[in-house]
Amino acid sequence: MSLARLFCHAALLLVLALSATAQASESGVAQATTGRVAKPIIEPARGDKCVEPAQDMRRNHMEYLKHQRDDTMRGGIRGAKYSLKTCIECHASQTTNSVTAAPTNFCISCHSFAAVKVDCFECHATQPASKSVSFMPLGHPTQAHGVLSNLRRQFQNLAPLKP
Amino acid sequence: MKPESPTPCACGKNACDETRPQPEQNSRRNFLGIAAAGMAGIMLAPGVRLIEIAQAATPAAAGASPKVRWGMLIDSSKCTPGCNACVVGCQTENGLPTQPGPTDTQYIRKIDIKEVRTGKTASLPMMCQHCAEPPCVDVCPTGASFKRADGIVLVDKHTCIGCRYCMMACPYKARSFVHEPLTHQKPDVPRGVGTVESCTMCVHRVDRGEQPACMVACAAAGYNAIVFGDLNDPASEISKRVAQFSTKQIREDLKLNTGVRYQGL
Amino acid sequence: MRLALRQLEGRSAGYYLLLAALIALTALGLGAAWAMEHHGHIITGMNNQIVWGLPHVFAVFLVVAASGALNIASMSSVFGKTSYKPLAPLSGLLAIALLLGGLAVLMLDLGRADRLIVAMTHYNFKSIFAWNVILYSGFMGLVVAYLWTMMEARMNKFSGQAGLAAFIWRLLLTTGTGSIFGFLVGRQAFGSALLGPMFIVFSLSYGLAVFMLILFAISKGSQRALDPAMQDRLARLLAIFVSSAAYFVLVYHLTNLYFAKQHGLERFVLIDGGIYTNLFWLGQIGLGSVLPLVLLLNPSSRQSRTALVIAALLVIAGGMAQMYVTIIGSQAYPIEIFPDYQVSSSFGDGVVAPYTPRLPELLLGLGGFAMVGVIVLLALKWLAFIPQRLDSFPSDQLKHPATQSNT
Repeated sequence: MSLARLFCHAALLLVLALSATAQASESGVAQATTGRVAKPIIEPARGDKCVEPAQDMRRNHMEYLKHQRDDTMRGGIRGAKYSLKTCIECHASQTTNSVTAAPTNFCISCHSFAAVKVDCFECHATQPASKSVSFMPLGHPTQAHGVLSNLRRQFQNLAPLKP
Repeated sequence: MKPESPTPCACGKNACDETRPQPEQNSRRNFLGIAAAGMAGIMLAPGVRLIEIAQAATPAAAGASPKVRWGMLIDSSKCTPGCNACVVGCQTENGLPTQPGPTDTQYIRKIDIKEVRTGKTASLPMMCQHCAEPPCVDVCPTGASFKRADGIVLVDKHTCIGCRYCMMACPYKARSFVHEPLTHQKPDVPRGVGTVESCTMCVHRVDRGEQPACMVACAAAGYNAIVFGDLNDPASEISKRVAQFSTKQIREDLKLNTGVRYQGL
Repeated sequence: MRLALRQLEGRSAGYYLLLAALIALTALGLGAAWAMEHHGHIITGMNNQIVWGLPHVFAVFLVVAASGALNIASMSSVFGKTSYKPLAPLSGLLAIALLLGGLAVLMLDLGRADRLIVAMTHYNFKSIFAWNVILYSGFMGLVVAYLWTMMEARMNKFSGQAGLAAFIWRLLLTTGTGSIFGFLVGRQAFGSALLGPMFIVFSLSYGLAVFMLILFAISKGSQRALDPAMQDRLARLLAIFVSSAAYFVLVYHLTNLYFAKQHGLERFVLIDGGIYTNLFWLGQIGLGSVLPLVLLLNPSSRQSRTALVIAALLVIAGGMAQMYVTIIGSQAYPIEIFPDYQVSSSFGDGVVAPYTPRLPELLLGLGGFAMVGVIVLLALKWLAFIPQRLDSFPSDQLKHPATQSNT
């Protein structure tokens, strides 16, 4: 191997190593380095245990959810074993009350570590339904919003500037 | 551009038998041929596997029953132009923006109409009519827009690619498109950017045995203009009323067999 | 027949400059698509009333032109006009390039463009859109096969069959594109069986105009003089197609004018629709039909290359205007949910919907055109599509056993 190639290989390795450590510290991935392999920090869930063993869930949660979503959506079956809403009720963080808000929250911790995009929460709520839901038009705490249309509405509601 | 080198063929016509492809063209062709075949194989192979998976996933026993047909009866003579209790109720229940702009979602809207020739006015709420022959379901390329067994027309956001064809197709302009990323959705009402949505007849409430939020809000406001129930059940309130009073479907000439009917129009 | 085809040398400054400019424009288009994917469609001018905006105008035009660009090849393989045979590979290339450009714009405008795999694995076969996914990709495969039969000497004997298959597929595809609108019963401007055939005739007109422009550019750029007889033939053909398209537009509007329930729409398009009326009369009819016909039917202007280039450009401009009126005008005009009622609501009922395209939409659409250019430029250089000589073409051979010769 020529000197130039050796140099290139070494430089590449160095860059990778540096970027890996930089990634780990700068990105939102919360990691615990015990032993040689960094592992994600995952907040423990509420409740006593999950509907399936952890190993099984780690492997197959996406399959279970994917099949359940069609039964719920098209079949109208509610409250089944793999209902996403029920997952969130246990797995929402005790501090942020969400599964994606902070880097250690349940879903996001593993998914950032594995660099797998989670598509679910584009649409699904990340927080459990509050138990004290009552039908009261003025009293509802959560309202889905888009930041840009909110801003536009605020601008529209401002008093007009004097000429 | 430089002029072409002189042609090897003397006759000057294009149908020359002595024309042969140049050597580098030949090997370039071979390469492209092999590459194309390889690409085709790579592109088709995952599709074969995915189709297997898609076909294997048959829907389980339905919670929604085909024996039921959910419908609504709206008595517009009880609607007043200034009132939008149903709209506010829907916005609250579904987490929709309260002062919607042109890019914001509206599941239900109040329409004020005035007959041009006679001056007669009326006011009515308009939402997805939950047709039995929905044009939006016909045109959806992925089948995301679908009609549930009990007649409620929904959008499966998992499969919606956001092509907006259903919005073009709806004769009632019932559908909205989510134009920007959303946060703080209601847990019962998933909504996301790039997908299309419309009135679900509060399917999350209906499946719990409750009534749609618009109906509840109208009752709370004291008008009781909206009745919800099972059109297939002759004993239900709505069935009795549509049998007794003169009701119509909007744009009934299209013969879409809507689940929402109107009185007083 | 064996075709003598050459590659474009493609080493001049002009070639590289043009290629660089087109790549830059394509990159801008891709950037716009990324921004739309990232921020959502709120950065565009589209809203819940105008759901298909400028990108769809560009995309549908490109797809329709793609089908029509293959017409030269179809005429040579299917209809015995063998004088067009040397131009057939170029015609096939253009069809593929235009279709790729149109599809790219269409797919990048999707709300969830990342779900293309879903679109390719979940089919609702009642939807013409689902059929179009198959028709468009199948068309590309068929045209590639057709090109292969024309450019690979030992496959020449199959070019007639491949040409026929591609021709029939073209008809299905373009009918499918027109039926996207024709099958919609809810809007006043649509729901007409005329739209499928109308789009076929549009495709012939727009496709030939694009083909002619590219052919003239190649002729000038590679310094191959074009046979004046062929130029004249193409010009007359374009005149036939432009007038046929105008005929369909006439029948469409005349029929609408017969129905009282369509008068509101016709009034909007023909008289008081503002920009839509202007685009219809000045764009689609004036610039897109009347002026080109004047240039193409006048014997002296028909001989002028410049006049023909202008005519082709006008046809394309008229085509874009037609797409704008058809796609956007039909959305701007309020759906008549309550005929003969004045209607008002918080959701734009009863009023003409305003629409102002914004930069991301324009860049995405232009990026589609630029992508077509990049594909054509690169393909012309890498493979042999250009006939060795453009100054003479074979005569049309009549298929009679007595006059049969080696083809």
